Amino acid sequence: MRPAIAAVLLALTLTASPAVHLRSVTYAQWQKELARMRGHVVVVDLWATWCAPCLERFPRMIELAKQWEPEGVQFVSMSFDDRNEPGSFDHVLKFLIAHDARIPNYMIDEVLPEAFDDFNLNSVPAVLIYDAGGTLRARLTGDDPRHQFTEADVEAALKRLVRHGS
Amino acid sequence: MRSFAIVLLAAGLALPVLGGQYNAVVDIGAPMPSFSKLPATDGSTLSSKDLHDDVVVLVFLANHCPWVNGMDADLVKLADEFKGKSVRFVGVALNHREDDRLPAMKVHAATKGYDFTYVYDENQKLGAALGATRTPEYFVFDKDRKLVYMGAIHDSPAHMTRGGEVLYTRGEPKTMYVRDAIVETLAGRPVQIKETRAQGCTLEYEQ
Repeated sequence: MRPAIAAVLLALTLTASPAVHLRSVTYAQWQKELARMRGHVVVVDLWATWCAPCLERFPRMIELAKQWEPEGVQFVSMSFDDRNEPGSFDHVLKFLIAHDARIPNYMIDEVLPEAFDDFNLNSVPAVLIYDAGGTLRARLTGDDPRHQFTEADVEAALKRLVRHGS
Repeated sequence: MRSFAIVLLAAGLALPVLGGQYNAVVDIGAPMPSFSKLPATDGSTLSSKDLHDDVVVLVFLANHCPWVNGMDADLVKLADEFKGKSVRFVGVALNHREDDRLPAMKVHAATKGYDFTYVYDENQKLGAALGATRTPEYFVFDKDRKLVYMGAIHDSPAHMTRGGEVLYTRGEPKTMYVRDAIVETLAGRPVQIKETRAQGCTLEYEQ
């Protein structure tokens, strides 16, 4: 497909779904974004389009975002796609639009190994949950074969934090 | 108390670290777990008692993973470098998704030129015992089958792009962690860099 046609198609798609946005951020910028969300419980879904289980889980995270929005929980997505791969930003945005991801969406603007170090993560999918004061209260990852997280863990953590305050 | 511990474990918080810096289960010096009759892509089976070389390299792989595909050529080249030496490379897959199972492994091994044993750890016990959670992730064992290195192959993780190109995240690799660990172990010297973060896809354990 010619680049001009692809650009027009992307623009049309964007017009059709104006509420889905993606922003590229460095880790330092992300920290500021996170600080601005204080006052809300924040759930950060760390994912990438190269991660098969992330793609499978993403629709459920969007469902959870809708489910918990009335209780003041802010869901956010952070893509670990490689900024240096040509077309990666548009590729991520298309996926988000296709899944009607009307939440704050970010893509990390770092060399990937440094991004993993910054977040102290081995891989994605992973979910970080912050309380309204900005303190990290749950770190759900696949880093332990005995306790890889599921969406049920996300819900359980939210129930504890939002409904029971613990 | 039990539920409290589960909450902490699920959250990855507060419990003492039993593994390495990036591994929740094992640390350097851990023994190689025994395994029995894992089916291989060449139709044979492999057991830990069949391994007699001075160095054994277990590398966890997943056919579908762009990071495996991005570093397959580096793995094949590394295994070739130690042909004729007392070093045994063994690839291990354990995901249950169809494109990571044995039939797909056979195709992948042939396509990528794997000239080493590639086994399927279907019950996932070997991977779980080693705390393997990413692909590709390397575990290097010495003659006494003690763990001397675990982590990435080198310092510039690479992935296969959507266009089929290999893209190194930090440019040309400079430090070859696994090669250095093998050379040092063969020479009877302690491994200098013992653990790194193995960036890649998450291994999926059936809970």
